[in-house]
Amino acid sequence: MSLRQPAPPYQHGEAPTQAPEEDSDIEEEAMVRDYQEQVQYEDGIDGFDPGMSMAGGATDIQAQLIAAATPLEFGANLETKFQSYDNYCNLFHYILNSDGPVDPEMPSYYWPWDVIDEFIYQFNSFCSYRQRVALKNEASDDITLLRENPNAWGCYSVLNVLYSLIQRSQISEQLAAMKRGEDAAPYAGEYGNRPLYKMLGYFSIIGLLRVHCLLGDFSLALKTLDDIELNKKAMFARVMAANFTTYYYVGFSYMMMRRYADAIRMFSHILIYVSRTKNFQKNASQQYDSITKKNDQMYALVAICVAFYPTRLDDTIHTALREKYGEQFNRMQRGGPESLPLFEELFRSACPKFISPTPPDFDNPEINIDPVEHHLAIFMEEVKNNMWSPTVKSYLKLYTTMDLKKLAGFLEVEPEQLRNWLLVNKQRSRQVRWSEGGLLDGQVVNSSDLDYAMQGDLIHVSEAKVGRRLVDWYLRNLARTY
Amino acid sequence: MGQPFDYAPERPEHIDTILDGLDRYNPETTTVFQDYVAAQCENQTYDCYANLALLKLYQFNPHLTRDETITNILVKSLTVFPSPDFSLCLSLLPPHILSPLSASLTSSHSNPAVGDAPLSEAVQKLAVLNAHLCAARYDAFWSTLDGDDLYADLVADVSHFEELMRVRIAAVVSQAVREVGRATLEGWLNLSGSGFEHFVGEVCGWGVEGEMVRVPLNKENEAKGTVVRENVKFDQFTRVIRRAYEQPV
Repeated sequence: MSLRQPAPPYQHGEAPTQAPEEDSDIEEEAMVRDYQEQVQYEDGIDGFDPGMSMAGGATDIQAQLIAAATPLEFGANLETKFQSYDNYCNLFHYILNSDGPVDPEMPSYYWPWDVIDEFIYQFNSFCSYRQRVALKNEASDDITLLRENPNAWGCYSVLNVLYSLIQRSQISEQLAAMKRGEDAAPYAGEYGNRPLYKMLGYFSIIGLLRVHCLLGDFSLALKTLDDIELNKKAMFARVMAANFTTYYYVGFSYMMMRRYADAIRMFSHILIYVSRTKNFQKNASQQYDSITKKNDQMYALVAICVAFYPTRLDDTIHTALREKYGEQFNRMQRGGPESLPLFEELFRSACPKFISPTPPDFDNPEINIDPVEHHLAIFMEEVKNNMWSPTVKSYLKLYTTMDLKKLAGFLEVEPEQLRNWLLVNKQRSRQVRWSEGGLLDGQVVNSSDLDYAMQGDLIHVSEAKVGRRLVDWYLRNLARTY
Repeated sequence: MGQPFDYAPERPEHIDTILDGLDRYNPETTTVFQDYVAAQCENQTYDCYANLALLKLYQFNPHLTRDETITNILVKSLTVFPSPDFSLCLSLLPPHILSPLSASLTSSHSNPAVGDAPLSEAVQKLAVLNAHLCAARYDAFWSTLDGDDLYADLVADVSHFEELMRVRIAAVVSQAVREVGRATLEGWLNLSGSGFEHFVGEVCGWGVEGEMVRVPLNKENEAKGTVVRENVKFDQFTRVIRRAYEQPV
């Protein structure tokens, strides 16, 4: 991608670094190089004209732009939230429906991301709040206010904004062109050639990913990213928070689609990236704070996924995981009924704050269940279904053939029960994993190093052995000889 | 094997167009999707991605909800177990749908407008079936299905439901089994006598030998040991090679 815009001077120390290639030795060097490149761009800023072409209401617009990317005060009341919604409507109306493209000076390079991020965040917290108020059903002005304003922060208008920004900027066409290796400019149109629209459009795609995931539509969430290539050259990789958000929601959606290998791949990629660029990121402390929380959430999700898809993690991640969730991590991998509360706890702490898109039923407060509970219940079904697999596997590992009845005796269950577990475990070991193409593509593979088949009451067990890994060792030692 | 989740071979073109455009949010397309679900029930085809789009329309426009269509979608998704489709459909239903029935039942008495207590009940009944299937308790699946008249109503629209389930169960079993006792398999498939022999022999192509049923070897029930070799990429050597140019000694 050739989007080498000069970064404005007020971003000093916050220069976007590029996402590294998956787990390779050259990463760090590449990152440092990138970083220096960016800093140089900041030096060579003289020729940069921020493009102030607005006359009169410029300061007014500026204030609006800044406000739109600023979080509301903690505990802001409903009027403020309604007001904020109206402000967004006005601002997006101005951006989308003026005569031709508008060209206000962006308050910062990151403004397009910040504004989409904040917009969705406010939508999210508004819906959660509304649901909570309805469930509690305490007589208050809030209920009256919410009843009177059923259309504030409506899901249709939020989606409308995101889709309109995507269409205006023709970002999908641009990205498709880039994917084909062409220049995007001819496809961008009058709007899409301007950085403001281009970036708003781009981040709206990520916004959509997030909204779909919040609404529980995980397959559509992944489908949304069809145009975007998840790699180090992705445009979002230049804005750390966007980078982070994308991988979190993609990983989470994969997890809910039971594609644990893909989920782990996504989480690992970004967690490694964060741990390696920590020192650069710290300078941008504000962004870094919000990242720390999501960071912990993603470790929790990795712990959950590994229980479904036992695999060797990257060392960095493995160490951090032990530090943060060592005890839970072990017990979840062991499975059994005792592990259920742990799954529940970690899921609750690490899932997105799911929302219900429509206004709650104020007349029947008790049915306005928190959507988080709904998704938790669905997820826990799968956990319960899978909880005996670790036990079964731990025994099978010890044998090459085994009598079903004998093993049932060891496990102190009925043979029929064990037969069911074996069938379940076999089914669960076949998981869809991505190999190429869109995010929803994938092939069914055996996720386990163990495989078996039943011949009557005889279980034949086979194992996939991992050959020695020599290359890494060889390279490390070679590097040492220099 | 290896098909994207959003791919359905028999999907008609006009559905494709709706799914790819913004019309997927247009409440007016609800009827189009509903007809499509009815067609899937009839022709034994299946299109999860399109059905999810309809559930999303219901999610956004609860007043358009048709209980019957929702349950049909869920029943259809049972026929592709153990894929996550049933769960993915549940995720798009209202959050209270899985909560204990008593609460929503009482409230529906005081206010008929809620009106979806029957839906909750139906969905939870289907969730029981799904739980049996996912836990490989096929005997329990059949006895539950036969044990309640409501199930007969729920699956009535899906033509050949029982056959579809049998084929699916057989497919899943064949992954894990080379030989299985006839009695066990009869229980799993809820068939006996000549019906059983016909299904196992003709439809599945398995051999019945006395009290055992032999499943031919396939990729999954072979359970062959393998050795995973390391994949070496040229990229890994970048550093070494660059080094050779940087410092010619």
